[in-house]
Amino acid sequence: MSKPNSPRLISDLELRQRPVKLLYGMLFLLMIAVTLICLLPPIWIIISSFKDLKEFYQVPPTLIPRTFQLDKLARTWQEFSFMQYYMNTMLVTLGTLFFTVTFNGLAGYFFSKLKPKGSALLFVLVLWTILLPNTVGLVPLYSNLVDFPILHLNLTNTYWPLWFMAAANPVTILIFKNFFDAIPDSLLEAAHIDGSTKMGIFFRIIVPLSGPVIVTVIILAVNGVWNDFFWPFMLLKEQHMWTVIVAIYNLKTSLPQDIQFIGLTFAIVPPVLLFIVFQRYIMQGATLSGSVKG
Amino acid sequence: MDRTASSGGRRRRARGSGFVRYWIKEWSSWLLVVPSVLFFLFFSWEPLLRGIYLSFFETRGFEPVRFIGLQNYVDVVSHSVFWQILRNTFVYVFWSLVLGFFVPIAVAILVNEMRWLQSFFRVSAYFPSMVPGIAAAMLWMFLFEPSEHGLVNMALGLLGIAPLGWLQDSSLTIVTIVLTMTWRGFGAIMLLFLANLQSINNELYEAAAIDGASIRHKLAHIMLPHISPLIGLTLILQISGVFQIFNEPLVLTEGGPNNASMTLQLQSYFYAFRYFEAGRSVALGVITFLILMVITLVFFRLQKKVSD
Repeated sequence: MSKPNSPRLISDLELRQRPVKLLYGMLFLLMIAVTLICLLPPIWIIISSFKDLKEFYQVPPTLIPRTFQLDKLARTWQEFSFMQYYMNTMLVTLGTLFFTVTFNGLAGYFFSKLKPKGSALLFVLVLWTILLPNTVGLVPLYSNLVDFPILHLNLTNTYWPLWFMAAANPVTILIFKNFFDAIPDSLLEAAHIDGSTKMGIFFRIIVPLSGPVIVTVIILAVNGVWNDFFWPFMLLKEQHMWTVIVAIYNLKTSLPQDIQFIGLTFAIVPPVLLFIVFQRYIMQGATLSGSVKG
Repeated sequence: MDRTASSGGRRRRARGSGFVRYWIKEWSSWLLVVPSVLFFLFFSWEPLLRGIYLSFFETRGFEPVRFIGLQNYVDVVSHSVFWQILRNTFVYVFWSLVLGFFVPIAVAILVNEMRWLQSFFRVSAYFPSMVPGIAAAMLWMFLFEPSEHGLVNMALGLLGIAPLGWLQDSSLTIVTIVLTMTWRGFGAIMLLFLANLQSINNELYEAAAIDGASIRHKLAHIMLPHISPLIGLTLILQISGVFQIFNEPLVLTEGGPNNASMTLQLQSYFYAFRYFEAGRSVALGVITFLILMVITLVFFRLQKKVSD
């Protein structure tokens, strides 16, 4: 399967020598070990959540479960209203997607194509937001959300702040900008001569050409929402507003361990399924956002 | 720089452009970013500035009540926990360099060499990054359980090693936290290095092989120089990440035992939301911020010197 010409340290020719072969074998075993360390812990948690009570607390714990209780999962799902947390997370995700794509997309368009005089200064400010460590703004931001400036609204126990914060994501703006930079200006000029407005050009020319980057941004955003802990935890104090991650953290202290395992399973399985389906896009997105930060 | 679509047809009139003319032409462009600017303003820039402002005030709730100069800073620094945290931070930095920095590079090189199952290995190494951070921390909390209940201790038992206290042992707690962070975080950095390794021109290796270069030579003279800019960048990201560690100690230890795993960010959070000392919280934030700025500037200065 491997490409014959991918650049490797150990060439095919060297691999024929006995000591190199031995080294290569050791590297392969090491790679297997790394893989096991990566895969086994979450898999063990997931399969352990199917064990019955007796087997769960058995010492030493069993690696492969002998009992298999699907109804325990169903009961936990019901009893701790995970359906609600899933729906909440879904709602946060949908709003986040809308805000992320619309506002960061428009900002990317602004910095890439419109570029009026003075926009460079704004761009520097946005870039600084990536570089500056977020250690100072936490408290004032929280106080803004409890009592929003000018309007005096209390935004806790709503999803608005999470959506608004998604709209000011400098990394996503950069991803959009880099992509739009590659769209030839001549296309936009033609549309402009045809009488399209700037907004019209964005929606009729830019957006239809931006399928790949929008997919990447969506996947990064979905994954981001599923991971997001700090602000949901700070803001969503009422139980019926919790996201899945907030729920498993808040339920941590009050639940027996076997139920916690099931909660963890509920938190791990969706992103893992997402990964299995979209792994190529997800890994592309990760590489992209990583290289943008650099 | 290319002229934009909107200005393309108007070159003739652009000569006499004044303030009014500029706005007639560009108001619709700026209108498109007004929401973004507002979002950045309220959720990013204003909190940062007000945080700095707040650090010079005595606070009640989140409101400043009295200007007290540097008193918050003095209070924070003279508290005994501050020095403990600084020491912890160095230990965190040390282990993040040993584990968090080294592991992704090593695994990327390893994956790159694989001729068989390569894409499976790549996907598996990225797999932990898909587990949500809080879930990953909780997961490892179960695995690192002290006594022979814990799976990690059980595995070590097979190798004949006595069970360890891990998170409960103040001398191991930071290593354990860094281990769990590395487990979840290395995949993304590994992908960056892998992409970087695969952009090396294969002819360099082939030419070197013809000249009789050993594997070690190729590693030292072709591979490492090629990836060294990325190594530098991940180094600084790794270090600046350490100063912002928050989730893992919160979930795993709450900074304990006895503040042995307390971080700057977590302490700042505790000041604000546990002890309700907003002023001290932002003062500690500013201190963290300054330390980080110094480190980053020194790094870029050094990098410039190296590349010149």
